[in-house]
Amino acid sequence: MEKLGGIFNPSSPEMEALAGLTYYTMATTLGILLLIVAAMIYIIIAYRKKPDDNQEPYQNFGNLNLEIVWTLIPCAIVAVLFILTCNTMKVVDPPVGDHEPDIIIIGHQWWWEIRYPKSGVITANELHIPAGKYMLARIESVDVIHDFWVPELGRKIDAIPGHTNHMWIVAGEPGLYIGACAEFCGTQHANMHIRVIAKTEEEFKEWETKELVIPPTPRSGLAGEGAKLFQEKACMNCHTILGTAAAARVGPNLTHLNNRQTIGAGVLTNTPENLKKWLTNPQRYKQGSLMPNMKLSPAEVDAIVAYLEALK
Amino acid sequence: MSSRIPLVPENTEPLPSLKGNQGMLAWVSSVDHKQIGLMYLIITGVFFVIGGLEALLMRIQLAQPEMDFISPEVYNQLFTMHGTTMIFFVVMPFLIGIGVYLVPLMIGARDMAFPRLNALSFWLVVFGGILIYYSFLTQSGAPDMGWFSYAPLSEKPFSLNKGPTYWALGLLATGIGSIASGLNNIVTILTLRTAGMTMRRIPLFVWMILVTSFLIIFVFPIIASAFAMMLLDRLLDATFFTPAHGGSAILWQHFFWGFGHPEVYILILPAFGIISEVIPVFSRKPIFGYEFVAGSTVAIGLLSVGVWGHHMFAVGLGDVANLYFSLASMLIAIPTGVKVLNWIATMWGGKIIFATPMLFATAFIIEFVMGGITGVAIASAPIDWVVTDSYFIVAHFHYVLYGGSMFAIFAGIYYWFPKFTGRMMSETLGKWHFWLTVIGFNMTFFIQHFLGVMGMPRRIYTYQDFPYWGSMNLLSTIGAVVLALSVLVFMWNIHVSLRRGKKAGDNPWNAWTLEWAAASPPAVHNFDLVPPVRGRRPLWDLAHPEQPDEPNAKVVD
Amino acid sequence: MADNKMLIKFFIASESIFFLMLILAYVNFKGTVVDGPTAESSLNPYVTGIFSLFLLASSLTVWLAGKSLRAQNHTMMKVWLLVTIMLGAIFIFGQGREWAGLIEQNITISRNVFGTTFFTLTGFHGFHVLIGLLMLSILLGLALFGDFKGPKSDGVEVISIYWHFVDGVWIVVYSVIYVWAFFL
Ligand code: HEA
Ligand code: HEA
Ligand code: HEC
Ligand code: CUA
Ligand SMILES: [Cu+2]
Repeated sequence: MEKLGGIFNPSSPEMEALAGLTYYTMATTLGILLLIVAAMIYIIIAYRKKPDDNQEPYQNFGNLNLEIVWTLIPCAIVAVLFILTCNTMKVVDPPVGDHEPDIIIIGHQWWWEIRYPKSGVITANELHIPAGKYMLARIESVDVIHDFWVPELGRKIDAIPGHTNHMWIVAGEPGLYIGACAEFCGTQHANMHIRVIAKTEEEFKEWETKELVIPPTPRSGLAGEGAKLFQEKACMNCHTILGTAAAARVGPNLTHLNNRQTIGAGVLTNTPENLKKWLTNPQRYKQGSLMPNMKLSPAEVDAIVAYLEALK
Repeated sequence: MSSRIPLVPENTEPLPSLKGNQGMLAWVSSVDHKQIGLMYLIITGVFFVIGGLEALLMRIQLAQPEMDFISPEVYNQLFTMHGTTMIFFVVMPFLIGIGVYLVPLMIGARDMAFPRLNALSFWLVVFGGILIYYSFLTQSGAPDMGWFSYAPLSEKPFSLNKGPTYWALGLLATGIGSIASGLNNIVTILTLRTAGMTMRRIPLFVWMILVTSFLIIFVFPIIASAFAMMLLDRLLDATFFTPAHGGSAILWQHFFWGFGHPEVYILILPAFGIISEVIPVFSRKPIFGYEFVAGSTVAIGLLSVGVWGHHMFAVGLGDVANLYFSLASMLIAIPTGVKVLNWIATMWGGKIIFATPMLFATAFIIEFVMGGITGVAIASAPIDWVVTDSYFIVAHFHYVLYGGSMFAIFAGIYYWFPKFTGRMMSETLGKWHFWLTVIGFNMTFFIQHFLGVMGMPRRIYTYQDFPYWGSMNLLSTIGAVVLALSVLVFMWNIHVSLRRGKKAGDNPWNAWTLEWAAASPPAVHNFDLVPPVRGRRPLWDLAHPEQPDEPNAKVVD
Repeated sequence: MADNKMLIKFFIASESIFFLMLILAYVNFKGTVVDGPTAESSLNPYVTGIFSLFLLASSLTVWLAGKSLRAQNHTMMKVWLLVTIMLGAIFIFGQGREWAGLIEQNITISRNVFGTTFFTLTGFHGFHVLIGLLMLSILLGLALFGDFKGPKSDGVEVISIYWHFVDGVWIVVYSVIYVWAFFL
């Protein structure tokens, strides 16, 4: 049997607290529902009109004591639920204090820009974190409202233009946690996935160093041609590649595209084949995406793919 | 027996009537509350089919992962129009319409206080609906920013199409119509009650309409002004909701939900009213705790305006605001619970007749409580952080809206159809409709709770093949098809009953409120003579002179 | 008889919420302007204050019109109605003057949040004044043709309640925009 995701697989202390609160609350309230269902079943059996009974039943207009009882009991239940809420909130949403954010997560239509202000790494759609370590994320948006949600790791939080939010991110164990944008943000809201990749501390350090390398620009061969095309075909108007003139932020930073698992915030797995498909017509795989069809010839596509693959 | 009480003052002008000249013009120009009420019901029926078909298309697209049936643009238009239609052009006008039909009859009045204003309200709603649907015909298509139209997605830079403009204009027209009918209902209920019909004796349905009307006149202006601002932004480049120019995206949310949350009680309180009429009649007992059912309605109305932030827990309002909104929202469970328990107590010890209206009313209690308890769960901010904007929320609000409002609407239609038309609806088809609805509804929406907590966001036109998502969504889609079947059975039932239904007579259910003293369908002037009102159940008092509800009540003339 | 006065009172309650929202929007953005005009930099509280007095006075005259009607003094009623309309018109003229002045300096609804909220708030108020003027003119016209024999008339009473409301809203609007910016 495959494993159930989301709340059924809490993978951080936050998510465990949240799942606990959810289970407890749902159990309590489902208990109420069951009592009501039981009462209804009893009523349906016991108080159904008998076919030949034409007497009107006893006319009962109410009972003050009962009303008081069934006002007070729900009051008590609500009080308990509220106290649980307060307690969980403390666990899940620890104060930020004057910490500097470790990560800045920026929502774009329809991909995530991810920056590590402390090291200077900039990537997209993949959030790498050292497992077990609390990382403070600042969440922003450059266009419309998005919402950062990794179901197995914890809460949702909105990315709102003109308003910054903070949240702590932690993953208990190394692993891959898939999330998505949860606030409707336009045409491709459905394909705005985020992957959280939790690693050991060493692996994380290693990844960070790799990301910081400025790859040399190939000068010759297919890749060299691709590099030229990249500048000529206006790719540079939207993308950044470190060590070249391309420094725009409209689309994802492509310097280390190689190291990423997917293309287009999760629509394709990142293989040279798929990259060719994407460059041939991104609109086919992500209709409405803000990357236009650049109308590249197959030869041009091959060259640019060779270039992007060569960036190491 | 005391003398019968004369009529409330007659309108001096003759009004177009149900009988006699049956031409279309007579309907279109009608200011009679019964004709207007029926027109509301018909138009909402049409919109329900449209909104339902939109839902079906969405469900087909979602039946399997990575389906390619509908493009993302169209899918986004579909859910926006589905939500907008169901809320503003189905449930709300239905409840207003049935209120317009019944309130004057229930309080023994000749018509609404302002019959022409009543007609204006209705036609504004129709006009708003047409305006919004017209946008499908424009080049860029219907609005596609979701039924709460969050800024800045709904603003010009991100929605260059005209859809959101039509949307705001259409809803503005509809909203003005609703405010007018709210005002009309309030004045009608406060001033046109027949002699003896004190506020402590009006049927609970009338109480619910009264509280709903107050909610309407106090919260629709909120959204009207927000629509005005949105239109100024879109048409004159104002900057209310555009953060890039100094505006605020969050302000729109405060405005929308400041209206939007009370709105959901506008959608459920009259439904509670229907249930509060149906359950006593079919249990053959008076409502248990009348004062508490009425009083809790007022409490719900008051609480409902202070909880809007529970739709904004993920915005980051701060702990204090989040906790306040959590507590305030949970508190609504208390007056709502009072109602539920009073309905159950009304059934307790009764001699219950499970005709179709009562079947729907009984199921209403269970389905609504199911929706209510998930409501209380998500009122807890941390739980909401887990499930907000996921299918769990979709499940919550379909349980309260379909399992609540729509079940009550069906109960109401089966209950009052004989009054509206003079004919009974088929019980056999009614039972088919009922069971298909219960099965289809729970099949469609129960599973969505699990999809939500497993990580499926709402408003996605496609999803990847995560474990079990495909099969769970398929189940939900099959449920929706069953639900569509149930609606077809229902429409068929109406069709055959109108032609061949059993003749109803004035009071087929042996009910006790005044509308059953009028003919079926009621004459233009409603009553020849209004029966004396000396208690909450005038027709009970007439039928059981030896056992009146209020033995010591003074006779008023 | 349908209760017209009750209707207008609930209508006004509803309208108040509408204005409350516009005012809240104004207040929400007050002080958030980073560049461009603000109330402090572009408005003149004294000129507008004087025009406001005309509107205030019109509340008095509409009351006098009603009083004359109750006293069966039809001539005076017409005179007071006319005066009310003129006072209201002068206020609208003042508003128009202020708007024109701002637009000349390129301060418009799309300039910044001050422009947006200021023009929206005063615009909706001005729109209500215009509606009131229209209704008062219809009243006056009907009176000139011999309607309103008195001593009571729902029409006159309802419209004067509405007119007082428009006036009351202006007091709040003036306080929020001008008094707050210049005198607090
Ligand atoms: C008919 C409409 C209706 C009704 C009646 C309700 C009723 C309630 N709703 Fe719901 N709600 C909606 C329609 C409705 N809702 C819609 C349309 C949305 C989504 C909008 C959108 O995003 O598109 C929504 C969303 C919504 C949210 C936001 C979710 C999100 O977007 O993140 C929340 C959060 O608190 C909430 C809470 C509640 C609560 C606490 C109630 C309570 O009133 C429920 C009270 C009832 C009971 C609790 C059952 C009976 C009580 C008892 C038997 C007594 C004992 C019980 C206890 C002590 C628990 N609702
Ligand atoms: C009262 C309100 C109401 C009602 C009754 C319904 C009814 C239904 N809803 Fe709706 N729904 C909303 C209010 C409502 N909904 C709202 C507010 C939203 C949020 C929108 C947003 O996110 O902006 C929503 C969103 C919503 C979604 C989520 C979309 C998304 O987030 O991507 C889904 C998905 O399953 C759905 C499904 C359904 C289904 C299957 C029904 C079914 O119950 C429908 C049953 C009816 C029919 C199927 C009609 C059948 C008629 C026929 C078959 C007749 C055929 C006739 C001829 C051929 C002449 N709804
Ligand atoms: C008008 C702006 C624009 C131009 C021009 C543009 N892109 Fe893009 N590109 C984007 C955007 C926006 C995305 C993100 C798309 C998404 O995920 O929705 C993107 C995504 C990509 C991706 C996938 C990155 C990832 O991490 O998923 C690649 C590869 C890419 N572009 C390459 C190119 C190449 C090569 C060119 C030139 C031939 C180019 N782009 C031109 C805007 C642009
Ligand atoms: Cu970004 Cu949805
Ligand atoms: Cu709500």
